Amino acid sequence: MVKRKSLNQDSVPYTVFKVFNVTLMLLIVTVIMIPLLKIIIDSFDGKASETIFRLLPADFTVDAYKLIFSRPAILRPLLISLFTTITGSIIAMTVTALYAYGLAQRDLPGRGFFMNIALITMVFQAGMIPLFLVVNKLGLMNNLFAVMLVHAMDAYYLILLKNFFEGIPRSIFDAAEIDGCSPIQTFLRIVLPLSKPGLAAIGLFYIVFFWNQFFDFILYIQTKPELHNFQVFLRSLVIETDTQGLEGFSFASQSLKNSAITVSIIPVLVLYPFVQKHFVKGINLGGVKG
Amino acid sequence: MKSGIDKNTLLKRFNRYKMFYLLMLPGFMFLVIFRYVPMLGLKYAFYDYDLRGIGDFIGFEHFLDAFKTEGFIRAFTNTLLLSTSNICIQMTLIITISLLLNEIRNQLFKKFVQTVIYLPHFLSWVVVGAVFNLLLSRQGGMVNNFIKFLGNDPLYFLGDAKLWRGTFLFIISWREVGWGTVIFLAALSGIDPQLYEAAKIDGANRWRQMINITLPHLVPVIIIVLIMNLAKIFNLFESVFVLYNPLVYKVSDVIQTYVYRSGIREFRFGYATAVGLARSVIAFILVFGTNQIVKRLRGESVL
Repeated sequence: MVKRKSLNQDSVPYTVFKVFNVTLMLLIVTVIMIPLLKIIIDSFDGKASETIFRLLPADFTVDAYKLIFSRPAILRPLLISLFTTITGSIIAMTVTALYAYGLAQRDLPGRGFFMNIALITMVFQAGMIPLFLVVNKLGLMNNLFAVMLVHAMDAYYLILLKNFFEGIPRSIFDAAEIDGCSPIQTFLRIVLPLSKPGLAAIGLFYIVFFWNQFFDFILYIQTKPELHNFQVFLRSLVIETDTQGLEGFSFASQSLKNSAITVSIIPVLVLYPFVQKHFVKGINLGGVKG
Repeated sequence: MKSGIDKNTLLKRFNRYKMFYLLMLPGFMFLVIFRYVPMLGLKYAFYDYDLRGIGDFIGFEHFLDAFKTEGFIRAFTNTLLLSTSNICIQMTLIITISLLLNEIRNQLFKKFVQTVIYLPHFLSWVVVGAVFNLLLSRQGGMVNNFIKFLGNDPLYFLGDAKLWRGTFLFIISWREVGWGTVIFLAALSGIDPQLYEAAKIDGANRWRQMINITLPHLVPVIIIVLIMNLAKIFNLFESVFVLYNPLVYKVSDVIQTYVYRSGIREFRFGYATAVGLARSVIAFILVFGTNQIVKRLRGESVL
């Protein structure tokens, strides 16, 4: 039997469309990549500001990076960022995973209540000023724990993790209980090892979140600028010098700005392949029904 | 006697699960302290509360005040204007790109494009703001170097009230459009391929397949995404915060930045809480209203 050729698979208009489509996609990729490539490439270039775009630096140098890692004023925000990212993620992971573990117990008395008070926060939040006043009353102003604790549990990630835990077969829990495992032992020895993919996904979400965190530092750390993280530093280095002529960093050379941005991008780039995989999965899994 | 037994078993169940309650305590404390106690603070919207401390109950005075203040009205209209144009531009781009990307048969190329266009979403707004500040700078920025190369005068994209909105909308699209395609691509891949086969046999070309199969399947997703976007209309904040400056407040100040400046910078806690509360109420009405309209039109609720 002769295989019938698809009706319009190879027609001329369709080929034209295919070429147009691929070209358009390449154009979009270019528009997304050029700004980032420009910054990254220029950070290695001593003559950066005179060019429009160059794929290889004209005057290759890593001076700007040496400057970043030698100046306490730049190194400190970077270390603060590392600290809040690691500590914040650990706190958030612990709080979220433990709460999700409780929610995953189907017979837990009050399960619906505990679920609902978390879900409501996805829709209703008091807003910037009331939260600020609470943090202020608790005496957490100018304290790095303020910026970490106000995001200790994200309801969306909580639900994802709860669903993940619920996917573990019940018989395993029953067996553990019969063997005399306490809930904590079950959690540490059975639930956590069996949920590695889910935990990895949510851990990555939190890491990216805390690394990118910015406004909370402006809000809660007002009179101790030495506790500001790298994002806040980056803002005053690049954005405020340009628009408001902020004193202090106005000496900053173009390549220092470029390399500071690059330093902030790199951790995201390194984690990105993993994050992308999990994020897409997470959105398809727990997100909107199509 | 039955209730006695019930009580007993309930007690037993509580007892059995007391360890779990202990484990959930940190999360519970977090919710109470940082999510629910602040809700009590919403009452300050009705009090005279500034740097001097909490004063008298003044009812709706802050709200009336806000609607008479030029700064609030400006922030309100800017928010609506920027958000709605942003939603229109983004939705158009997202749907177009998703449909086109869905037509690409080479999976490797498709994957490559997806990887690139999702990336900006994971960069912080500060990084995005910084990148575009440098690129658009009048001194040595790439774009203005190019404009000068063409023989024109450099433009102050982020400091010129005439150019700011366009620049802002471009930047926000640059960051979010790619990521927005995730949901649509998922919906597209969920369409039964047999439908297309059947259409092909009936002689429908690709264009007709798109109009009669693909688009109708996307309608529910489009509606959900639209409603979710409406809910977020008044959330516009960090993007504006890193891209605006006093030169362009007139065209760029939005509700959230206005709340920040009046509440945190000027210490008008009561007033700023009231503005924030008004913002939440309006957003809620918008979402609820849209959902009702959709319900009427489609005979079913999507939320």
